[in-house]
Amino acid sequence: MKTMSRRAWVLYALVLAFLGGLCFLFYTFYTNADDWAMKKANRHLYTSGTLTTAGTITDETGAILAQTVDGKRTYNEDKTVRTATLHVVGDSEGYIATGVQTSYKDEITGYNFVDGIYDIKKYGKGNDLQLTINAELCATAYNALGKNKGTVGVYNYKTGELVCVVSKPSYDIQNKPTENINNDKTGAYEGVYLNRFFSGVYTPGSTFKIITAAAAIDNIPDISEKTYKCTGEYKVDGSSVKCMGKHGTVSFERALNVSCNSAFAQIALDVGAENMTKETTALGFNQSFSIGKIKLAKSKYDVTNASKLDLAWSGVGQYTNLVNPCHMLMIIGAIANGGTAVQPYLVEKITTQTGRVSYAAETTLMPQAMFSATTAKELQELLRSNVKNYYGDSKFRGLEMCGKTGTAEVSSEEGGDDPHAWFVGYSQREDFPYAIVVVVENGGGGSSVAIPVANKTMQKAAELYAD
Amino acid sequence: MGKNKTSKKRKPLRKPVKWPFWLFLMTIFQLVCMLQIYINGTQESNTTLFTVYGVYIAAEWIYFAVFGGFLRRKSFEVELIAFFLTGIGLTLTTSVYPDKTYTQLIAVLMGIGVFIVMLWILSDTKRVIKLRMPVAILAIAALVFTLIFGDEINGAKNWIVIGDGLLSVQPSEIVKIAFVFVGAATLEHLQSTRSLTKYILFAVGCVGLLFLMKDFGTALIFFFTFIIMAFLRSGDIKTIFLVCAGALLGGIGILTFKPYVAKRFESYRHIWEYASSSGYQQVRLLIYSVSGGLFGLGIGNGKLRSVYAATEDLAFGMVCEEFGIIIAFTVLLTFVALVVYSIRYASAARSTFYSIAALAASGLLLFQAALHVFGVTDLLPWTGVTLPFISRGGSSMMCCWGLVAFIKAIDVKTYKRYDKIART
Repeated sequence: MKTMSRRAWVLYALVLAFLGGLCFLFYTFYTNADDWAMKKANRHLYTSGTLTTAGTITDETGAILAQTVDGKRTYNEDKTVRTATLHVVGDSEGYIATGVQTSYKDEITGYNFVDGIYDIKKYGKGNDLQLTINAELCATAYNALGKNKGTVGVYNYKTGELVCVVSKPSYDIQNKPTENINNDKTGAYEGVYLNRFFSGVYTPGSTFKIITAAAAIDNIPDISEKTYKCTGEYKVDGSSVKCMGKHGTVSFERALNVSCNSAFAQIALDVGAENMTKETTALGFNQSFSIGKIKLAKSKYDVTNASKLDLAWSGVGQYTNLVNPCHMLMIIGAIANGGTAVQPYLVEKITTQTGRVSYAAETTLMPQAMFSATTAKELQELLRSNVKNYYGDSKFRGLEMCGKTGTAEVSSEEGGDDPHAWFVGYSQREDFPYAIVVVVENGGGGSSVAIPVANKTMQKAAELYAD
Repeated sequence: MGKNKTSKKRKPLRKPVKWPFWLFLMTIFQLVCMLQIYINGTQESNTTLFTVYGVYIAAEWIYFAVFGGFLRRKSFEVELIAFFLTGIGLTLTTSVYPDKTYTQLIAVLMGIGVFIVMLWILSDTKRVIKLRMPVAILAIAALVFTLIFGDEINGAKNWIVIGDGLLSVQPSEIVKIAFVFVGAATLEHLQSTRSLTKYILFAVGCVGLLFLMKDFGTALIFFFTFIIMAFLRSGDIKTIFLVCAGALLGGIGILTFKPYVAKRFESYRHIWEYASSSGYQQVRLLIYSVSGGLFGLGIGNGKLRSVYAATEDLAFGMVCEEFGIIIAFTVLLTFVALVVYSIRYASAARSTFYSIAALAASGLLLFQAALHVFGVTDLLPWTGVTLPFISRGGSSMMCCWGLVAFIKAIDVKTYKRYDKIART
């Protein structure tokens, strides 16, 4: 009998293995629950592939962007609003990966591991999400883009609310042109499911000169006294960096005003690859940022194997440089805010089925400063000078804008012949602390195409938010 | 539970066990289940609903009244667990298959009958030894008969269908009882290598026949049980390892040379890629298990029930979704409790027969539960074995109750007169 009970201990090994397996199983359940419960095969939440039990999504004013009525998902009654907010709201099938209906699925359906989908069944809907965007402003920006593809983003650089996020091309979710999208040959629906603001990356062109200027301020002590010669091009290693004009002898400030490539090519070479890399790294290039649960595409600056000519081109925002529009908005926001950006956010608050506020957004600073306070101050003056002395305040009546345009040359694989038009800037008015980024794909010149879009959007924003 | 009882056991006190308290709680639980089915209306016939629960709860109380009250037996952990699990299984069947409710109830009552008869048979080791050979021959015969005349359901030829689907029996389930019975009895009486050889032949025969039926899950369970019993008797870990290694090699060989066997496991660890083909059931199980949350959606509110063979193959998921993850894991822990109970009582058993039988039976149940749970959740390859007591099925219900009789028999308190059968 003694031996038997001793040998019986072997069964304890079996028991331990089983208990270990149970712990692992529970852990697997716990960590994957959100993902599994949200699968389309879950007929508690989906009816023929459509998420029907999600809560209501509203804009900052409380206007309904999406809601579930009698088990059917419906959207804002205005077609332009539906189209303009498509990428932020997202669809219920998950094509638009960064849309809140996909990225905030768990919140919006109200799933949690403890109660499962119990509350969703009980109340017939999930949690309500209030966003920071303003539907009217988005519609204005969407219309301002006209027939062009591109993106517009506006945020409050003191508090972080993203009040406008628009991406084009788009479609009316209530009358989805599925046929046209699937059989698109003209390119009219190219990247239609992509929110260009969060997931797009573009050659920055001259907007990148803000960054080269920052590197110059940090690394060349007497930069404000320096002058540069522009003969319409700057010769490097037997080739040259072309300039849009023949600017003659220009100061640093003037070089930024007129966006002189010759001057900035020289500045980039003076700063050097190492310091350019240091500057861009501090700004968050080659790193990933998130806006809540939405991941941003990485901006790219890499001159490790660059020749002198390449480095010169990188200084004027060409070469292999790529910038994500939202990231660019954060950079300009950091300048406006004195060196450290306020973290932009999109979700204002989440209310559970029972009316309890389970999440409320707060203003937070980014953990690291992008610029020193003095550099930010100097950049503020330079950017203000751009508008005041070059583009003209008449282009932005009453807004006291600071900013920089960009005309980014794109190779034909990147989609066409005309350059991308950029504008990035902010209003320095105390009562209207908003920053904007505009990218018009293949739109042409920054000042002729992007500035009017920026102006229309900012005027509307001022109407809504300025005192 | 087992621990408390063990410490109590050492004291010669005649304090009555608190079975009425646990039985009362369990009855409440079962009445709540009935009420939920009543409210949800998943069982169309209220007469059937009340009859099934009435008869089942009455059976519980009668059993406890006779054995606990009249015969003054003590320690009822094993029965409490068996009745608890059976109640959950019965609830699922009643709610999902309104028309098969009575069949299941009859199977449960027969299971309890098998349990009592088994207890009687096991009370006398002489009877056990006498029955050993006939049972072994009958078991092999049943398997051979199934292999020749059986019907194939879901890829395994392990069913005997009588009268055009009126009654279907799975002989391999009943043979599980015989396997433990013959094994423990032979090893108890092991004097010569001849009887050991005979037993090994019997075991190899059973496992081989199951393999030929393509019932790999059950074959694995038999093999595992054989290993447990062989080790308990010999204590020779080296030989056990050798046998396991041999079996593993054989398994790999079969997977290599019989591609159709490997194909049955193609979706292992890739069920999401096979979500609409061979991984269909498992994917639904995972989705709906977590949909239930810790506390479940309530009987009849789940969606897994509409998936094919949910109450049999996916029983664990059914419990997760409708009863909640807490109860589902509690169910699994009760199988652990049965093994721990057997280990605890092994040293106090009247003879090695009882120890080996109880350890083999509880090990078998735990192993089968593990294959079911980890298989269906894709942590192990899915062999389609049922969850003991919970999955719907008459043969398996009788098998489970027959197996717990071995566990019950290990405790001397089960029988009043134990002087007669003390051998070693």
